[in-house]
Amino acid sequence: MAQRTQSVQEFIQDAFVPMVAVLCSDDAEKVTRKNSLSFPELLRPFCRLTSEGHLRDPNNQLVLVKNLRISVTGVNLRPPHPAALRANLAHVVAQSQPPDTGSANVITAGEYDLNISATTPWFEAYRENFLQSMPASEHEFLNHYLACMLVVSSSEAVPMEEFLKLSQEQHKIQHSGEYAHPRWFIPNTLKYYVLLHDLSQGDQQRAESVYEDMKQRYGSQACYLLKINSRQGGAAADEQIPDPWSQYLNRSSTFTQDVYDGGVSADLNSMGNDINSDMDATDSTKDTVSNNLADHPLQLDQAAEPTFPGDAGEPAGNAEVERLQKGGASTLNTLHGAWLTLNDHDRIRQFVQEFTFRGLLPHIEKNIRQLNDQLLSRKGLSRSLFSATKKWFGGGKVPEKSINELKNTAGLLYPPEAPELQIRKMADLCFLVQHYELAYSCYHTAKKDFLSDQAMMYAAGSLEMAAVSAFLQTAAPRPYPAHYMDTAIQTYRDVCRNMLLAERCALLSSEVLKSQAKYSEAATLLIKMTSEDSDLRSALLLEQAAHCFINMRNPMVRKFAFHMILSGHRYSKAGQRQHALRCYCQALQVYRGKGWSLAEDHINFTIGRQSFTLRQPGSAAAAFRHILVNDSQQSPVQQAAFLREYLYVYKSSGESGSESVLPQLPLPYLNSARMRVFFGHERRPAEGEKQAATHVTLDQECDADLSRLWVRLEEQVVALVNRGVVPTSFQPTQACLSHTTDNLRFPLAVVEEPITVELSLRNPLKVPLLLTHMSLLWKFTAKDFSQSQSPVAGESVSNEKEALDPKVVPKNDIIATEVIPQFFMSPEETKVARLKLLPHQTGELRVLGVVYNLGTADMTNGSAEGLQAADLWVRGRQDVELQGARLNQTKEDKTSVKYGPDHRLDPIITPPMPLLEVFFLRFPTALLCSELRKAWVEFVNVSAVPLSGLRVVSTHPNFFTLGGSGSAHTPLSPSSSEHCSAYKTVAAPPSTVAKVTRVSEAEFRADVAGVMEVPLPGGVLGPGEALQLPMWLRGPDSEGVHEIHFLFYYEHAQKNGKLSHRVLRHTAVICASRSLCVRATACCSNTVHVSPTRRQTSRPDEQSGSMLLFVDVENINTNEAGVREFHIVQVSSSSRIWRLHTCINPTGDKDSKLANRERGKLCFRVSRSRSQDDADEKLVFADLNLGNEQIVSSSTPCADFFFRRGPAPVQAKLGVTLGQEVAPVGGADSSLGIIRKCSEIELDIIVLWKAYMVEDNKQLILEGQLHVALQRIGKEACSFTQREENQEMVLLKFKPEPPPPLARPSLEQLSHLIKTCLQYPETYQHQFLQKSICMVPVTLMLSNCSMAQVDVIIDLRHKSTSPDSLEVSGVFVWLGQTQYKLQLAAQEVRRVCLRACFTRPGVYNLGVLRVFAKLAQASSLCETSQQNALPSLIIINSA
Amino acid sequence: MAVCVAVIAKENYPLYIRSVPTQNELKFHYTVHTSLDVVEEKVSAVGKALADQRELYLGLLYPTEDYKVYGYVTNSKVKFVIVVDSSNTSLRDNEIRSMFRKLHNSFTDVMCNPFYNPGDAIQSRAFDSVVSGMMVQAC
Repeated sequence: MAQRTQSVQEFIQDAFVPMVAVLCSDDAEKVTRKNSLSFPELLRPFCRLTSEGHLRDPNNQLVLVKNLRISVTGVNLRPPHPAALRANLAHVVAQSQPPDTGSANVITAGEYDLNISATTPWFEAYRENFLQSMPASEHEFLNHYLACMLVVSSSEAVPMEEFLKLSQEQHKIQHSGEYAHPRWFIPNTLKYYVLLHDLSQGDQQRAESVYEDMKQRYGSQACYLLKINSRQGGAAADEQIPDPWSQYLNRSSTFTQDVYDGGVSADLNSMGNDINSDMDATDSTKDTVSNNLADHPLQLDQAAEPTFPGDAGEPAGNAEVERLQKGGASTLNTLHGAWLTLNDHDRIRQFVQEFTFRGLLPHIEKNIRQLNDQLLSRKGLSRSLFSATKKWFGGGKVPEKSINELKNTAGLLYPPEAPELQIRKMADLCFLVQHYELAYSCYHTAKKDFLSDQAMMYAAGSLEMAAVSAFLQTAAPRPYPAHYMDTAIQTYRDVCRNMLLAERCALLSSEVLKSQAKYSEAATLLIKMTSEDSDLRSALLLEQAAHCFINMRNPMVRKFAFHMILSGHRYSKAGQRQHALRCYCQALQVYRGKGWSLAEDHINFTIGRQSFTLRQPGSAAAAFRHILVNDSQQSPVQQAAFLREYLYVYKSSGESGSESVLPQLPLPYLNSARMRVFFGHERRPAEGEKQAATHVTLDQECDADLSRLWVRLEEQVVALVNRGVVPTSFQPTQACLSHTTDNLRFPLAVVEEPITVELSLRNPLKVPLLLTHMSLLWKFTAKDFSQSQSPVAGESVSNEKEALDPKVVPKNDIIATEVIPQFFMSPEETKVARLKLLPHQTGELRVLGVVYNLGTADMTNGSAEGLQAADLWVRGRQDVELQGARLNQTKEDKTSVKYGPDHRLDPIITPPMPLLEVFFLRFPTALLCSELRKAWVEFVNVSAVPLSGLRVVSTHPNFFTLGGSGSAHTPLSPSSSEHCSAYKTVAAPPSTVAKVTRVSEAEFRADVAGVMEVPLPGGVLGPGEALQLPMWLRGPDSEGVHEIHFLFYYEHAQKNGKLSHRVLRHTAVICASRSLCVRATACCSNTVHVSPTRRQTSRPDEQSGSMLLFVDVENINTNEAGVREFHIVQVSSSSRIWRLHTCINPTGDKDSKLANRERGKLCFRVSRSRSQDDADEKLVFADLNLGNEQIVSSSTPCADFFFRRGPAPVQAKLGVTLGQEVAPVGGADSSLGIIRKCSEIELDIIVLWKAYMVEDNKQLILEGQLHVALQRIGKEACSFTQREENQEMVLLKFKPEPPPPLARPSLEQLSHLIKTCLQYPETYQHQFLQKSICMVPVTLMLSNCSMAQVDVIIDLRHKSTSPDSLEVSGVFVWLGQTQYKLQLAAQEVRRVCLRACFTRPGVYNLGVLRVFAKLAQASSLCETSQQNALPSLIIINSA
Repeated sequence: MAVCVAVIAKENYPLYIRSVPTQNELKFHYTVHTSLDVVEEKVSAVGKALADQRELYLGLLYPTEDYKVYGYVTNSKVKFVIVVDSSNTSLRDNEIRSMFRKLHNSFTDVMCNPFYNPGDAIQSRAFDSVVSGMMVQAC
């Protein structure tokens, strides 16, 4: 906002000053020329009066004239041509620029903080210039000449003659009518005779005498002897003389130069001088003589100024000040006033004062009186005068005439002596001598007269001045009549079509309104004044209006911004680029970041253009960058234009600027967080049947769960290698780093292995982009890690220099840098670019960023391939700044927002390491559940370093096997064994008796905790060597898609370096479809065919009973087309104690075939192979083949998978019970164990099957094996691991759980303690006719199943309480003892002889006796009824 | 009828702005943005007097050479601005008022959409059609 150094009053006062003309003789001109000044110029710095003047108004009241300024100009000055005036103003505005630093104040309006320059010096300069260059007009007298100085040099031969000549000339100018231009206020202009005496050469005596003559002739009031040039030669450089002219003439001289250059007519020169010298009259106040600003910061200087007569203080300080002033003006090329001393300055000052007080003011006073008298004499004639005088004395008000009554005529022209003009003249005179009250009433009167005459121009002038003088009145303040001004402006503009006057009016009025804080009105006024005819004026006024808006009580920020933009627009039209740029920049503060993107883009675009034309490519580029970076709403065409402009600006700025630094490009967006780094070679594509390990590629999505899984697998191996402990320095291998991985540590990369950086780039624009010659920027510090403990760091090398020019082929000796020649991005596309580095030395690498050529792509060419490198491109870079994850470990981290480092891009290049590649041959993708397949795996060491310690770990250890360690394989080539069975087979006829093998588990348990060691010949795989091994796979037991992860672990043959080991990952996807479901149940057979007498001699497998095993096989394969039928080829058992004995199937069905959805049942007898307490841990495998081949289940693939069948809960449980057995403890627990033991069996069944499958008209034979683990008698076991129920939500328990009740054997368990068996003849012949009672001997066999003593009670009393027993046809009775109490030792078999008595023939159920049993030592337990035997029927026939 | 319809969030960023396609869109953006000053002035003037029962309709904000700008403020300080052609003299205050009411209703519907995230630019088709209706209608 125009915060000014002047008050409004001063400003208005200075706008209208008394004009004095100067007429100089040639000699006088010469005298002043010595100082390179004309006479008016000589006086100019002293034209403001420091002392007060007085005069009396017509009513004889004293009027004080303060701080008066007069304007002295040459009489032959012509008003400037309008075009020249405009050029001058434009120049002035262009010259005045805002200070670069400071002085801007911050205005806070609502949510906006605006940085706005506090002052608008260009506007003030413009205004001063404008007001000074106002041409004198018909309708007002304010800038008409009041007086004329006639200057004659004393060196003239006859000075008095000269005076006469000049006087005549002046008369001619004024009255002859030849000269249109200088306008004169009053016919008899005051003539002031000045005798200029050059002290350096003239004779002073003569001058004095001439002066006396002058006084005689013209009166002492109108004469003056001015003595100057008291200094000799003017070359005394040692004397410090202030140069008050410099600030008046300095700029004017340069301006004149400009004007000449511009080819403007020569007479502009003087005009320019004049304008510019007057322009800074304001400033003169503080530098020279002003004392009106009592609190001015330069007050001290003024006090010390020697211009005040009688003030002799502080000469030293004075000199100081002068030097400062001199310093300020030292830029001058011409020195003014070289012949003048300070005394001369004083003399000039005194002269001006003398002239004003003795000559000018009395002259004005006289004229006012005269005019007043004239007017009073016409009192009777003029009605208006009546009211005027009435107004002077009575102060009554006269109703205004409204604007509407004004007619649209410019009005008539008055003759110079018209009474209306006399009033106006008087008013102007009063105004000039600061008698504003009188001036106001005169103006008011004149206004009414003019209005009634319809002299619109005159009326407007009077209105304007009336308003101004009303405002300036101090004695009786009256409200500022703003409407006067409005009317005046309107009249000037619309009626008179005089924009200059209208503008003056508006400038004055707005200033007054602003001073009264009526900003809104001021703004309206200013905005109204904008028009098409002058861009500069419109721009300035709009800017002022904008400042008004921001200065309102409720700042109107947006209006401010909008008008700033309008102003900027006009400035740019007016060619004021600097100002336009400033306006747009200020407006941008409001629009920035508020979502008004269209407007923001527009502003930024304009700023960019303006900055560019002003040769500020930096800020231009920044502005354009904004347009492109923000999510643009612009149309594609617009965006393309923006982009082209941006590239052009960048290009030209790059050409002009230094080449050493590449610009940072804003496009495309580089999402540095999404950046990924991959270490190692690209995955080799599958070659024929060979399928390479998937390992890790950049194409995979990062999965946190998966990576955790890999880390767990790796930990598993590492722990095993380090004897069960994971070393603290363990760092999981990460081949691919992304924002989700842990990047706190420097990653390790191996020399000669590529590092791939994947950049995620997004094109935000709707136009395509073409990036060319794209490569990575890096910095590398070479270090030799193998040499010493503390590696010596070498020099840092960077490729930044090389990257400057795309044509330079990068040197690849340290790190080979891949260059992508073309990278095309479609509109709004997100794309990844992969850039590779290949380090050739060890050390520390740091990826700095990416460098590329950004260019536009032409879509019209069609496909991306057809694109040629666009002609418009710039080379630039984008640096990568990575921010790590937020730290959340310590309390400090949690309370403050801290981010960890991210070392993704700072790999350490380590010495060479072995590199393994793994290939799979004939690796299936689909398997039936439990299907067995043989595949091959090939290990290749592709590095130059030997490899050792190869191990493999998997998430599914039961999926594959490499064969047991014991069986040394001669690896068959995969092709030769294509049609063989994967199993080891022996030709054998189908038998009913199983073949038995004993195998120790340890032979097959080569893997510990799922980690399998791969047997390498000699333990080392040399460089370039390959090893092929068979690998058996077994389809997972559950159907569906299974992801099976393999992790291959290997080490350097010699442990060294930073990298302890390396890993290779493979993920196999297996689709498993359903095959067979096997359910098996073991039943107790009740036959006890061992007599106690034969106990010692009996074979162990026949020793204590046998079981029946029912195997239910169901074909649940749903794939109708593929597999035709399944054949059960063999059933094997594996157990420590039990073995399959015989097949008790009907023999007809050899190969039990099962078509779709069929189900078959097999029945086997299982016998005990040894007693439970046998310490031999070897397992017994018994094979019962149903076909012609026996599969040796105890050999590699079969047994391997059997042992890998997964965690067997049974075994664990058995282990517990076994432990209890070893150290039996009294109490419920042991008894429980014993009781449980009776019903437990430990038997695993292996069902081997073959399936015939047609695929591509080829019959395939598939094989497979199923495992069923039997745990308990009578309980069905299934090959399916039942789908685990979804975990129920566990209720949170807040109370401690009550201790579990003492484990008690359940009734059911207890009922298995004793096995009973009745032996009797099935049919019995009896002659009832002979003997009515038939007695049959029955033997009850009691067999103790448990390992403890059991008390048994046999109750023979028949109880037919159960309803079904009623159906039994007859009743029989037990004879003899009906209740027995026995004690059976462990595993003892006891016979009890009973006799049953029948009375008639029939079928009887003997199994009605009840047996109760309890453990002998567990006294607390009551006897439990034992399992009821099957109905034992006896047929009694009557013979 | 209307040549530009704008919805401006409480924080004075545009939620929705649409103008007749034949005209310079940028000009309307500037016009609407500038009108916010007047809206604020009016709201602060009214707010003091009757805080709760104030009229949502603000009336004519200011006229420009070619257009008239009308304003409306919801209770949640969301501003609606409608710019109409000054040459269209048939438009009465009442009609403008009803346009605003319609706009407000439609805006409320948008806000009620559970998938609308308050503060996002409005992209509702229903709202669009209501606005189009205002722009085409009548003249």
